[in-house]
Amino acid sequence: MTLIQDRPEEHLVHEPVLMEIVPGPRPRGLVKYITSTDHKQIGLNYLVTSFIGFLFAGLLAEGIRTQLIVPNNHFVTESVYNQLFTMHGTIMLFVFLGPFAFAGLGNYLIPLMIGAPDMAFPRFNNLSYWLYLGGFLVMSCGFLTNNGAANFGWFGYAPLTEAIHSPGPGADMWIIGVALTGFSGIFTAVNIITTIFTLRAPGMVMFRMPVFVWNQLVTMFLLLLAFPVLTAAFALLWIDRHLDGHFYDPTHGGQPILWQNLFWFFGHPEVYILALPYFGIVTEVLATMSKKPVFGYKGMIGATLSIGALSMGVWAHHMYTTGAVLLPFFAALSLLIAVPTGIKFFNWIGTMWRGTITLNTAFLFCCGFLVMFLFGGITGIILAQPVLDFQLHNTYFIVAHFHYVMFGGSAFAGLGGIYYWYPKMTGRMMDERLGKLSFLVLLIGFNLCFFPQHDLGLRGMPRRIETYNAGMGWNFLNMISSIGAYIAGIGVLLTVINLFYSYRRGQIAGDNPWDGQTLEWACSSPPPDHNFEALPPIRSERPVWDANHPDQLTKVGH
Amino acid sequence: MRAVETHLLGKTNFGSPGGVTTQDHYVRQLWHITYVFAVPIGLIVLGGIVWCMIRYRVRPGHDRTPSQFQYHIPIEATYTIVPLVIVAIVFGYMYNAENHVDAIAKNPAVAITVEGFQWGWRFTYPNGHEEVGTVANELDINSNDNLPVLFMPAGETVQLHLVSDDVIHTFYVPEFLFQRDLIPGINNVVDFNVIKPGLYSGQCNNICGVYHAYMRFLVQVMPVAEYNAWYAQQPAGSITTAGVPAQS
Amino acid sequence: MKVEWRTVLGASLFLGATALVYGAYKNHPVEASGVTMLAFGFFAYGLLFGYLLLVYLRRDRIPRPEDRFDATSADGEGEVGYFPNASIWPAAMGLGMIIGVVGFIYGLWFTIIGGVLFFGAVFGWMTEAEAATEVPLTEDEEDTATAAGHPGHIDAHPEHID
Repeated sequence: MTLIQDRPEEHLVHEPVLMEIVPGPRPRGLVKYITSTDHKQIGLNYLVTSFIGFLFAGLLAEGIRTQLIVPNNHFVTESVYNQLFTMHGTIMLFVFLGPFAFAGLGNYLIPLMIGAPDMAFPRFNNLSYWLYLGGFLVMSCGFLTNNGAANFGWFGYAPLTEAIHSPGPGADMWIIGVALTGFSGIFTAVNIITTIFTLRAPGMVMFRMPVFVWNQLVTMFLLLLAFPVLTAAFALLWIDRHLDGHFYDPTHGGQPILWQNLFWFFGHPEVYILALPYFGIVTEVLATMSKKPVFGYKGMIGATLSIGALSMGVWAHHMYTTGAVLLPFFAALSLLIAVPTGIKFFNWIGTMWRGTITLNTAFLFCCGFLVMFLFGGITGIILAQPVLDFQLHNTYFIVAHFHYVMFGGSAFAGLGGIYYWYPKMTGRMMDERLGKLSFLVLLIGFNLCFFPQHDLGLRGMPRRIETYNAGMGWNFLNMISSIGAYIAGIGVLLTVINLFYSYRRGQIAGDNPWDGQTLEWACSSPPPDHNFEALPPIRSERPVWDANHPDQLTKVGH
Repeated sequence: MRAVETHLLGKTNFGSPGGVTTQDHYVRQLWHITYVFAVPIGLIVLGGIVWCMIRYRVRPGHDRTPSQFQYHIPIEATYTIVPLVIVAIVFGYMYNAENHVDAIAKNPAVAITVEGFQWGWRFTYPNGHEEVGTVANELDINSNDNLPVLFMPAGETVQLHLVSDDVIHTFYVPEFLFQRDLIPGINNVVDFNVIKPGLYSGQCNNICGVYHAYMRFLVQVMPVAEYNAWYAQQPAGSITTAGVPAQS
Repeated sequence: MKVEWRTVLGASLFLGATALVYGAYKNHPVEASGVTMLAFGFFAYGLLFGYLLLVYLRRDRIPRPEDRFDATSADGEGEVGYFPNASIWPAAMGLGMIIGVVGFIYGLWFTIIGGVLFFGAVFGWMTEAEAATEVPLTEDEEDTATAAGHPGHIDAHPEHID
């Protein structure tokens, strides 16, 4: 339907805008799930699907840790173990972490935050969800084939991925599955960029958009550049495997390094695609819970933009040990990323400084993010230096580093986001006691699992080994790590229980349970079709706060 | 700076094995530089977070409305410029260290070809002598008896030519604090000058297929005289297969 | 529009400059791919920047309501956009594409089935869109249509519409 805004009688500042909405048929249940073009329904589809992906990949991770709990273990065979870590990585990155934030929360929240009635291309939006789900199912179905799923690690270095080294349909399904999620990502990016550029409410200038929306915008631009490169790399790989090509095949003059260059040119922006939206979540939660504006709002956006830009020029820091890349160039750019990330940290502290902080579950998860991402960031600075990377590359130190960034960082922030926006999505609060218990268990389990892995890496334990010699001094640390993994699993399960429990039993939330600041708290919980019946005037980046606290506007100057 | 480094951090290994090559000095120096900056900054940030959580949390009966400040340009400029300077310093040290660690000598004392394959290692010496070991000889992960051994002289520059014919492997010895990939089509060359003789274990460090975890080897670093004696005993073109009795 | 095109221009120029610096180094030959990709990024973002700049100039640099700091809801009157109702065609098209690509692994039969489904969905999607966007011809019709609860296109402030 076409949306038309009524012309108000008088031009008052507080004049509510009525939107004339002609309701079409309103499907329910399964039909709604399949056919809906509503950004909120599609967002929920993404959120639920990606969370299922999280649980599935988490289960694979428990399998990995069970295999490694003692040396010379035979819980799974070598081949199955390789499939476990490959699919754990692939699903976590392409199905959970990315789509959960940029497609799930992005779809649900961006139109709400900028005062738009829906996404710019609603049916296209629905299509991208189906491609995403298809990708998830196709890559997971690799487990059902004779040779099993893909087993060469989530970045599938050629020539190991060539047909002679990895025969069978599992690898093909991995390629098809990841490519489908890639296309879904490109479609979502087009959709969200268009929405942000053309569907903002009057007065919502770019520099009044919430930091979350800015971060999503930068993420989408990264996605738009990164995924086509990945798709091209996959096309070449497909030609190699099935059409007798030799792009990555060294025996016929191909270049294995080409794959690494192409893959990481996608892969490093991808890392920030997995991080920037979560920075946005943390920013929103910290500001709301501290009852203060985001400190250094413009600096924050500048930091986001520079992280986005720099992330496109650092891909080869994953390839230091190949001996075929320009070390100083990539080391300099990689180290530089620490600067805008540092700015973000100080801005987050500034946001909390002298606020009145409500220590609820959402805030605790975001603080967990801050501490763990800080640690992951520092180990990142270590790894950005080629000389130290020569020592630590592909050891468990790397594993620990990126789990501190991706799990302790992004996934914690994602869980915080669930606790924060669940009331908006369902109309009910999540249970606080269960939530805090979940946070505590997850925090302990996570650190128990991944902190010892730093030491394992320093002691020289390579990643992706299926078993290890008992005499290497790795036994105790691996045992601790595995126990931590089980505890972390329990922590996640507590949140899952909470999700179901609160859906029926949760306290009724009301429209604005947290005294929120951004526009999504201006509409009802859950929001009606096409979102807003009236918009508050938009005079800063937190219109709802301005409307609710007219005497506490943001101070200008310093 | 130097005083801080030697007094506080001089004896720390941060859990890693002490390096046994001449590169150890540079690696250790970089660790120290990084820690000197990272630890205080990390503590400041961590302290800030914890302080905010404790000091400014809402307490019952304490209804305060916070000041709605948003910008403080001097502070923001400070925490932009200071990290930039620190990054520049770290990069400077790193650049220097990198040139030493990656340097290739013109006239190495010994040049050995290290070939990785699915799944095993072949070490070829200048006279054509080969030391080979495959996963088939050692499928028990807990035994080190039948692993291929790379013999190296201590105190001399040993040049390794890293080659592979099938997939990508990585030559990695934790005690050398160094690794380099064996990439088909690209012949990497690395130099090691091991100071401390001993027996070290190494492993392939890049997923290379099913038996990746079993692709291990040993490095026997011997004093020069001992190495020369060993080398003299190896007939040109002979092959020693690990776990298989030597045939002359 | 200013912030939008400037942001994209910035990204494009950054990649262009990076490509120049990177290309200027004496590189390992295989790194030609890096320069290519950076240049690709420069051109890709450049295209987007060019389009945004064109729209901006075509609008005679008049800011849209969402670009004005003082705009109120009243300034946003007029058509917001076309928001289709629930539709089965995206799902059908998605299913067609998925079955089609799975056919690359399991045989062309799948691809043919998927292709039929895909093009059927394209046809359904197109006809659905046409049916929904029929525009009333005159203003009278428009008024009656609006009054009767059927949406039409009101074009109160043409300059506000991209």
